[in-house]
Amino acid sequence: MRVFKILIAPRFFGFVNEIKGNKAHRKIKSLILIIAGIMLWLALFLLFYRLLIYFSSQELIGYILAKRVLGMVILMLFSILIFSNIITALSNLYLSRDLELCHSSPATIIEIFFSRSFYTLMDSTWMPVIFGAPVLMAYGLVYHAGINYYLNVLNVFIPLILISASLGIMFVMILVRFLPAQRAGNIVMFISIILIIMLYLLFRFLRPEKLVNPEVFTSIAQYLTELKTPDSRYLPSYWATSLLWASLIKSQTSHIFNHLLLWSTALSMIIINTWLAGYIYFDGFSKSLESRRRSSSGKKILETIVSVITKPLAPNNKSLISKEAYTFFRDNTQWTQLLLLAALIIVYLYNFSVLPLEKSPIKSIYLQNALSFLNIGMAGFVISALSVRFVFPSISSEGKAFWIILSSPLSLKRFLWCKFFAYLIPLAIISEILIVYSNYLLRVSGFMMILSSTTIFFMVFGIVALGVGLGSIYPNFEHENIANIATSYGGFIYMVASFIFIAITVVVEAGPVYSILKARFKGESISDLQLIWIVCSFIFVILFTILTVKKSMSAGMKAITNYEG
Amino acid sequence: MIKFENLTKTFHGIPAVDNINLSVPPGSVFGFIGPNGAGKTTTIKMMVGVLKPTKGNIFINNMDMLKEATRIKMSLGFIPDRPFLYEKLSGVEFLKFKAGLYGIAANAIDKKIVDLLNIFELTDWADELIESYSHGMKQRLIIASAIMHDPKVIIVDEPMVGLDPSGAKLVKEIFLDRTKKGDTVFMSTHTLSLAQEICGLIAIVDKGRILACGTYEDLKHQTRTEGNLESIFLRLTKGDKDSEGI
Repeated sequence: MRVFKILIAPRFFGFVNEIKGNKAHRKIKSLILIIAGIMLWLALFLLFYRLLIYFSSQELIGYILAKRVLGMVILMLFSILIFSNIITALSNLYLSRDLELCHSSPATIIEIFFSRSFYTLMDSTWMPVIFGAPVLMAYGLVYHAGINYYLNVLNVFIPLILISASLGIMFVMILVRFLPAQRAGNIVMFISIILIIMLYLLFRFLRPEKLVNPEVFTSIAQYLTELKTPDSRYLPSYWATSLLWASLIKSQTSHIFNHLLLWSTALSMIIINTWLAGYIYFDGFSKSLESRRRSSSGKKILETIVSVITKPLAPNNKSLISKEAYTFFRDNTQWTQLLLLAALIIVYLYNFSVLPLEKSPIKSIYLQNALSFLNIGMAGFVISALSVRFVFPSISSEGKAFWIILSSPLSLKRFLWCKFFAYLIPLAIISEILIVYSNYLLRVSGFMMILSSTTIFFMVFGIVALGVGLGSIYPNFEHENIANIATSYGGFIYMVASFIFIAITVVVEAGPVYSILKARFKGESISDLQLIWIVCSFIFVILFTILTVKKSMSAGMKAITNYEG
Repeated sequence: MIKFENLTKTFHGIPAVDNINLSVPPGSVFGFIGPNGAGKTTTIKMMVGVLKPTKGNIFINNMDMLKEATRIKMSLGFIPDRPFLYEKLSGVEFLKFKAGLYGIAANAIDKKIVDLLNIFELTDWADELIESYSHGMKQRLIIASAIMHDPKVIIVDEPMVGLDPSGAKLVKEIFLDRTKKGDTVFMSTHTLSLAQEICGLIAIVDKGRILACGTYEDLKHQTRTEGNLESIFLRLTKGDKDSEGI
């Protein structure tokens, strides 16, 4: 226990020092993030509170729905916990830089294993628990639960967390026993992302909205059967749901068996993991230190594509853009993010294809064009979501090798513009595909097609410039995982700035577009005053975009020039 | 040639480099030695344009770093103490990338890349990603990339860290060979035997100030020490705490 305490002390002291050492500007950053977190927490609470109030007003179905949703929430939390434990266990048990120091110390393998499992549990649990709490609180308030329910939440979640952490750690230990940790990490990430994408697509393609549309069900019996389909009785999340539901509705039935199942599973998982760690943990760790040679397959394809694309460029631009492409496509974390975002785009387009435009009480032609206009903003948000993952971290992606750029004769201005164009071109192509294809699905008029594709084209310039600029203002060259840059304070600021930029563009265009469409549908002509207003609005959008690009890039340039680590 | 004029760098008001004046003639290996935290790496970072001086100027080949950084950097080769590189590039790709940054077309330097990889014994690893290289291999790759564009001034921070004896010998030979052609090597090191062996001129720094500067013989004379460079170094940095900057 003494050694265990020593082994976890660095994390504790690091955390305390981080809080103590926070300077004023970092305190403000933390405060903004905490406020954003609280707002999200409250939004989640209000959403579930209103939903449950609605359910509780519906006799028979409401009761079943509430229990079903609780089961789904706990199953989801349990799955997220396992997934998150797998990811953090890999880094905490096998890839952390300080592991060599720990393994060279006189601490036993089991002591190291326990300390690292503790890190894993803490890292992967805090967020699902914090954001699961408002849902459980909403249940407690709506169903007037007593203190027993809240105590039971603790009693249920402690073993559930222990089971999910043990399962995640066990999976990783077995995997790394047979594969080097780096490769196992890639495989785990890949499989997990594919699973998430499949679940996401499956969920979307099942069209859950039909549950609120009784017309699609032939009978109420079929509807109830659909709702009552139980979870597997062998899953810990099922035992947890049964216990929580019983205490929520103050059931008199004894649930001691589910209690015993939860706690005995948690404790036996810990014992099994300890035993397993004694056999295979060190072997896996030792393997993770071995380097591997690069596989030759697929080497040439990327190189050929990059060399063809960059052929007409000047040597230094060519160098930078080739390097950007190689590092991007060879980094598995970027690949997995790409897959997630591909799913986002597929679902985005799918939603347009299933819109019941004909059934709408609003005249179809109005609706199509109004949706097409809103689509500009929504596509802008999708492009921002892509940008926060790829453009914003592109400066930080230089990492500790940034000295190469700084000490080279390449000007930082050219460096930033190279980054800008390297991301502008693919994002402009994606945004045009999004807009043109969704407009095609909406069957909009030629005017709306031209307007939205032109607007999004200009919008991409602003979104990318904001990404490069703010990425230079908030760089993190010391990162261990590039995927974390998007969720940093700077990433949050970027999303806010990007949303404001999109909103201003859309709002300024909204009035003129409405008057043009109104005049067209009513067969009226546009007055001179309206024409001036329309022209001024479009000129404003163009100037606003140019100003955003210019200001973002110069602010980024200034920040990166003054960067001193 | 290299010249510092009142070069100063402060971090939060604390001087890391304190009003240094120095002149390094062309065609020499210049040793810049001092204890940890003496300001060596800060000075080097200002020389290569990674850090901006708080006060003062750096002139390299008669060009002002504040005004003509890009032109100066074209004629510099920098070898940092820690080999941070783009891990997802192969050795060859990295060399081509560096060539591109210096405006050299990749096809114009293919032959040179092959030669450098051969000299630094990296040919077998040329197409492997840098992430699979050992520390020493990364260091050799950085040295190869630093001399690839034939710089007139080479700036080195701890050149021998991570190199095996044959690698270290090779680097020494390359440095001496280049000074014979008129190039300048500005080297910061803790390996005093190396400094004594190859540096024509040596400056000993501590707390951001130059304590002594000259040839090995000059330093012996200035400190009235008969021993090797280590004795001079210890005398200046430990034994004689009241030494005034020179």
